Amino acid sequence: MIDFKAAFRSWSRLGAVLGLAMAPLAAPAQADTVRVTVSYYSAATGPFFEKMAAEFAKANPGHEVKIEVVNWNALFQKLQTDISGNANSDISIIGTRWLLDFVRDDLVEPLDGYMNADFRNRFIGTFLNPSQIKAKTYGLPIAASARGLYYNKAMLTAAGFPTGPKTWDEVVAAAEKIKAAGGNGFGVQGKGTEVDVYLYYALWSYGGTVVSPDIKAAFNSPAGVKALTLYKSIVDRGLSQPGVTDYDRTDLQNLFKQGRLGMVITAPFLINQIAKEVPTLEYGIAPVPTGTTNATYAVTDSVVMFKNSKVKATAWKFLDFLFTAGPRIEFTKAEGFLPTTKAEAADPYFTGNERLQTFVNLLPNAHFAPTVTGWEDTAKAVTNAAQSVYLGSATPEAALKKAETEANAALGK
Amino acid sequence: MKRARLSLLCWLALSPLVLISLFPFMVMLVTALKPLSEIFTYPPRFLPQRPSFDAFGEMWNATRFALALRNSIEIAVESTLCTLVVAVPAAYALARMQFRLAGAYRQFLLVVQMLSPILLVLGLFRLMASIPWGDGTLVNTRIGIIIPYAGFQMTFAVWMLSSYFAAIPREIEEAAWMDGCTRLRAIRSIFLPLALPAISVTGIVAFVAAWNEFAVALTLLRDVDRQTVTLQVVNLVAGRYSVEWNQVMAATLAATVPVAAVFTWLQRYMVRGLTFGAIQ
Amino acid sequence: MRGRGGVAALPFPVIAMIGPSLVLAAFVVGYPLYEIVRLSLHEVSRFGMIRAFTGWGNFANVLADATFQASLWRTLIWTGFVVGGTMVISIPVAVVLNLDFAGRGLARTIVMLPWSVSLSMASIVWLWAFNADYGVVNTFLTAIGALPRGLAWMARPETAFPIEIAIGIVVSIPFTTTVLLGGLSSIPGDIYEAARIDGAGPWMQFRMLTLPLLKSFIGIAMILNMIHVFNSFPIIWIMTQGGPNDTTHILITYLYDLAFRLGRPGPAAAISLIMLVIVFSFTLLYLRMQGRERA
Repeated sequence: MIDFKAAFRSWSRLGAVLGLAMAPLAAPAQADTVRVTVSYYSAATGPFFEKMAAEFAKANPGHEVKIEVVNWNALFQKLQTDISGNANSDISIIGTRWLLDFVRDDLVEPLDGYMNADFRNRFIGTFLNPSQIKAKTYGLPIAASARGLYYNKAMLTAAGFPTGPKTWDEVVAAAEKIKAAGGNGFGVQGKGTEVDVYLYYALWSYGGTVVSPDIKAAFNSPAGVKALTLYKSIVDRGLSQPGVTDYDRTDLQNLFKQGRLGMVITAPFLINQIAKEVPTLEYGIAPVPTGTTNATYAVTDSVVMFKNSKVKATAWKFLDFLFTAGPRIEFTKAEGFLPTTKAEAADPYFTGNERLQTFVNLLPNAHFAPTVTGWEDTAKAVTNAAQSVYLGSATPEAALKKAETEANAALGK
Repeated sequence: MKRARLSLLCWLALSPLVLISLFPFMVMLVTALKPLSEIFTYPPRFLPQRPSFDAFGEMWNATRFALALRNSIEIAVESTLCTLVVAVPAAYALARMQFRLAGAYRQFLLVVQMLSPILLVLGLFRLMASIPWGDGTLVNTRIGIIIPYAGFQMTFAVWMLSSYFAAIPREIEEAAWMDGCTRLRAIRSIFLPLALPAISVTGIVAFVAAWNEFAVALTLLRDVDRQTVTLQVVNLVAGRYSVEWNQVMAATLAATVPVAAVFTWLQRYMVRGLTFGAIQ
Repeated sequence: MRGRGGVAALPFPVIAMIGPSLVLAAFVVGYPLYEIVRLSLHEVSRFGMIRAFTGWGNFANVLADATFQASLWRTLIWTGFVVGGTMVISIPVAVVLNLDFAGRGLARTIVMLPWSVSLSMASIVWLWAFNADYGVVNTFLTAIGALPRGLAWMARPETAFPIEIAIGIVVSIPFTTTVLLGGLSSIPGDIYEAARIDGAGPWMQFRMLTLPLLKSFIGIAMILNMIHVFNSFPIIWIMTQGGPNDTTHILITYLYDLAFRLGRPGPAAAISLIMLVIVFSFTLLYLRMQGRERA
């Protein structure tokens, strides 16, 4: 039944609101409600933030923190509609690579005025950089990960590389042996987010770059062609899983968890998943294979404060609380991310974790996604290029050439 | 004897469609009964080795299913009522009263019917976000989602109802007027009872549409506490770092069974309702 | 109360009765439509900030875009095959369901059941069924020896798109059958009796009696299906998201991709208006054709 009484009440409340608007500005707010949008990383994400909100409310009586958990796929759409309807939350997690778009529309608050030296000093230096634009800090790194090569110990030992392959040549050699034994050698991601990034692993290791300093597409280079040609031959020779364009990151990780995939490049959080789901799996983690150089991809998600927030002081207080040692360690541990603050890095859980340390050690050679407008378009163009090559409908050269044109149309605009 | 042969032939002819219609339900059930360890085994097995109902319980808590179910029921019922309240008089006017702009009105309905909510989602959101309501705006309120649902379902409902109403013999009503009934009373005591099957069929269509709608709900319902079952189920799949398929299928099944039950229960009614509409 | 010619343009009771529906539709559709027109004529930032007026710029860019052209073509194939397939299957199914046989109620219920599953959920279930490694379809096909090993169905457009079309057909059948069944049950049985006496076989009866009498219902079902299928989003979005390499996009998924993934509301709004014009002209064409036949 339609609740007429409630409807009527709402109408009269609307009248009251209108009446209030006529009156001089309302009394100063006693209790602030801070709305926070967070992205879903795992089943632990929602409960973690709810707990933090409760702890915060307890320590700051009268204030309230409301958490909205959104799937990663829906996050951007939600922010977009919220902002265009002027109904956005006060704080949100975003992909750091989107930050420039927010800054260009003057949507997010520079945080430098809130941070003192002591606060800045909490972070591991490199992680604050990606969220700085024109010397202003707009985001705080809430989640960080890097990529490494997971390998199945039994399969790789049988193939003659018991400590994992070091170079792409070794990857191919190992995959050939694994294929001969009836297995899937090297997992190639051909669907979903980060198909482009999967290609960049090889591109960077051959010394290439994705976007040049003058913000032009730079992936259509000898290194890019070499990388895509390498993947194409892996796919064509059946050294990967079959039907690569049907496999997103989750699918590849599932194959690996079942012990049906020799090698896959992915993020540290797979460690937690394996520990929970298949603790018996024997696996190792090696750096991303080298071509001519060492490289990996590092990615951060940032938490930003919106300019139109009316409760900035309280919102900042909550952020400050989130980035203290206790909450940070709990969050990073539960999600399987890398430490972004020094306090986390010093915690025995991380110092004693050999597997995580592999990732930490990769960070000096890490590439971050550049903060440029048009990154999503570039990602889409390169993803399409890679998919067309995997499907056999284009050559690496032609596909990258086409992607270059598409990306340049969007980059730096 | 002849009927038996006919029945056999009919079922034989329908069997492929029957299989395909039941197939999704079978997939849901079989997957939901598997423990997670059996979902990802290779080579896969069709039937669960150790069937368990754990996935239902896990899903129930993970999605706060009871709450979502309540939201879905409230939103679907209220938007259906709202649709009917608006559509029944309009359809009656179209079917019974002659007015010159009837053709234009009919075409207007068809045009509105063409607008897919997905095309309009952004504008809808801006609209709702610009209307103050309670402490905030219509975004994230039940009324804020019921209005668009009713708006989009209403056009189809008027269309369908008016053709049904046109099929109800006018003479019965006119006879009542002769007997001194007022027009309103004639509608209430003669027309409405006859129209009830058609109205309930239309109601079911509106109910199912609201129950199953995704895009508008995703945009307008922000709080987890307010989200519908459909949203919760899709949320279990999209953009997660690992998908627990047994929970997903358990949730799908639990979200579908109530609607399927309504369908089964009202199946006879539906065809009767449609039969009414058909005697044009 | 009545005006000239016995029929008023809009007598008061009529206004009172259709008024609410007009207000509701105008409220829900009017403003969003205005927004879309506005967006389509401007350069718009990711977050909906209107920047410069570009006139037809967005339309020109969209029409020149190769992905748009391919998606437009694919949309026509999609709509044609799904609606065509649905009708071809639904008509005989409705005819059978209209016969008096044992268990007819059960059969009708089963045929209508898929209607109760939301499109998004149905797509999820089918996606899982077609999963390359754990899906029921591959399990079954390898078990009976039709395939040596499981196939990655969603990996290539040649397999993915036909599967999506097939699912589109399956989910459209219940509604269509129900509408047609309503039409069939209105045909009085005695005309068949007469036809039989005149020596018409079942096929003749179907062609000469059933089809013509069913025509207006087929028309309604077709036009409603067409509008629905043309705008149908969840199947393709959930199963392939228009990929790989944009080879399974139809207009509505491409529009969504542009608006919400690539953050280009301007071109996306232009596509929605183009889509609107297309459905509108199809509907008009259809109504014109129907009108001519009737005349």
